[in-house]
Amino acid sequence: MFNLLTLSWRNVWRQRGRSLLTAGAVGLAVFFALVYQGLIGAVENGMYNTLAQAVGHLQVRVAGYRDKRELRDLLIPGAEAVKAKLQQAQPQAEIVVSLEVPALLSGESRSRGVLLVGQEQPPKFAQNFRAQFLQAGQMPTSNTQGIALGAALARALQVKLGDAVYAYAPNTQGSGAAAYKVVALLHFPDPAAEGRAAYLSLAAAQALAAPGGATRLELHLPITRYSQDSLVSALRPALAIALGPGLSVETWREVNPSLAQVLALLQPLVLVMMLIFFVLAGLMVVNTVYLGLLERTREFGVITALGAGPAKVTWMVLLESLLLCLSGAVGGGLLGVGLVTILSKGFTYPGLDKIGGTFGIPQVLYPSLSVWAVLGTLLFAVLTGLLAAWWPARVAAQMEPVEAMRFNA
Amino acid sequence: MPSRNLVEVKVNAVLQVKNLTKIYKVDSVETPALRGVNLEVGQGEFAALAGPSGSGKTTLLNLIGGLDHPTSGQVWLGQQRIDGLSKAQLANLRLWNLGFVFQAYNLIPVLSALENAAFVLELRGESPAERQAKARAALETLGMGEFADRRPNQLSGGQQQRVAVARALAAKPKIILADEPTANLDSKTGIALIEHMRALNREQGMTFLFSSHDPRLLEHVDRVVYLEDGRVQGVV
Repeated sequence: MFNLLTLSWRNVWRQRGRSLLTAGAVGLAVFFALVYQGLIGAVENGMYNTLAQAVGHLQVRVAGYRDKRELRDLLIPGAEAVKAKLQQAQPQAEIVVSLEVPALLSGESRSRGVLLVGQEQPPKFAQNFRAQFLQAGQMPTSNTQGIALGAALARALQVKLGDAVYAYAPNTQGSGAAAYKVVALLHFPDPAAEGRAAYLSLAAAQALAAPGGATRLELHLPITRYSQDSLVSALRPALAIALGPGLSVETWREVNPSLAQVLALLQPLVLVMMLIFFVLAGLMVVNTVYLGLLERTREFGVITALGAGPAKVTWMVLLESLLLCLSGAVGGGLLGVGLVTILSKGFTYPGLDKIGGTFGIPQVLYPSLSVWAVLGTLLFAVLTGLLAAWWPARVAAQMEPVEAMRFNA
Repeated sequence: MPSRNLVEVKVNAVLQVKNLTKIYKVDSVETPALRGVNLEVGQGEFAALAGPSGSGKTTLLNLIGGLDHPTSGQVWLGQQRIDGLSKAQLANLRLWNLGFVFQAYNLIPVLSALENAAFVLELRGESPAERQAKARAALETLGMGEFADRRPNQLSGGQQQRVAVARALAAKPKIILADEPTANLDSKTGIALIEHMRALNREQGMTFLFSSHDPRLLEHVDRVVYLEDGRVQGVV
């Protein structure tokens, strides 16, 4: 036996072509919204991980380091002890120790001012770094005088793998110099970063500039999703207190405020785009529901005459719109989830990866969708159905039965 | 579940109309359709409103059915005065007390004959089993049992009108208001429908009030109220 749901379902498909077109528009909005969310989520997590990997989720430096110029003022006092404190406070975190030394780097015929980075990375980080940026050669180890250069910097210095380069840098004694062998070439998505990248082992940098010294300690937490970032902000005050007033603890946001702002804009952008998709689809739904109402004015008159009150008539129109939107939303949802599932294995975007690289977007993106994102998008479709049909539903509910039964479309 | 507080209807006089007027106003031009009509219909009556086109039959029937609002006067359904009720109250009143049969059948095209006959019961919120049983019984009473699964476009005019009567009958209203029910039917079908309705009136005590100028129908009714220019001209 039928009920109002089956009646509404049959009414929806009385004008099959028009309903299919409208359901298709809603389906397209749901499809785009899901794919868009999947992509933005991938960009967001990719940027987050690139940024966090480059500077750490939290970073320890000497207090007021931005205003200090001399290397000796930038050295963290008792760096080993500070590292031990950090490790004790966050046993699960990986700690990267860096010594950054401004230096003049010379090849046989050309020189460039660079920031030499001596780094001691845990094995997992070293492996990730190699996988992402190593173009040729082997990364320098602590017992060699090797240096890894950005490929662009190597071109600028007119050196290649196996060539010698010479570094002149300030040190705790005044100034120092050392010769290194180019053992690796690095490729970075951001050409500017590639033009200034010069990496040594921490031991080599310390031997050049500051024995046992470090200018930066990065704390890398076991977080891979941007949505978990609130943990980072929550951790910061406790660490700052534990380390005392001479050191500053900054989150990756404070280290990279401009990219953090770009990252913060992505979610609002998703919302705006979804609103645009659904407003356009909603206009089609209004049109379809209202045309259906006009064509069936006499029928609504009869239904009202037989005893359907304003509330029931309103509900009947809303139900038709909801069914129309949901049938499109289910189709679009399946396609959207399907495409994101296929892309979730990873995809590249050749041609745009250089631009992406300047924003810290990795070359391979892994879109994904949470259950909440899918449910939220379906909720958008439901709201579109309700809002789009609200006005036609009120028109139907206010019809006088006699006038409606006399109506000719 | 809709309220049934409007159902308390006195059995003797199912319907009373007192000094009812209806004036249509279009662009400040007033056209009187009813001019002080008085009428009473008793329980179990089989009565008709007759008169030429434009005499006010349909207008009167619409006002009695709460489908339109009078300019002045009163309409009583048993003990309940209905002319001042709100739109929602009138819908509720129609749902629980009145049955309608329209000249143009007005079945819902996406529903089968059985589903059309059960439509008012669905609006009342009755269970599927109850609806099905009552609707099927009504269809069988009108000889439409074998067409229960057909859609309106698969039925003849006479069959559609019988389904419309079944729709009204299944809900067991206090009174069935039928506006020109035989106007679109051929002679044989029209007479068959009249006989069906007359049998329902006699066997089940169902009260009918028609508007019609079909002499075949007027021959069968207990009482004919003649209207002309919006006034009652006589009762036979």
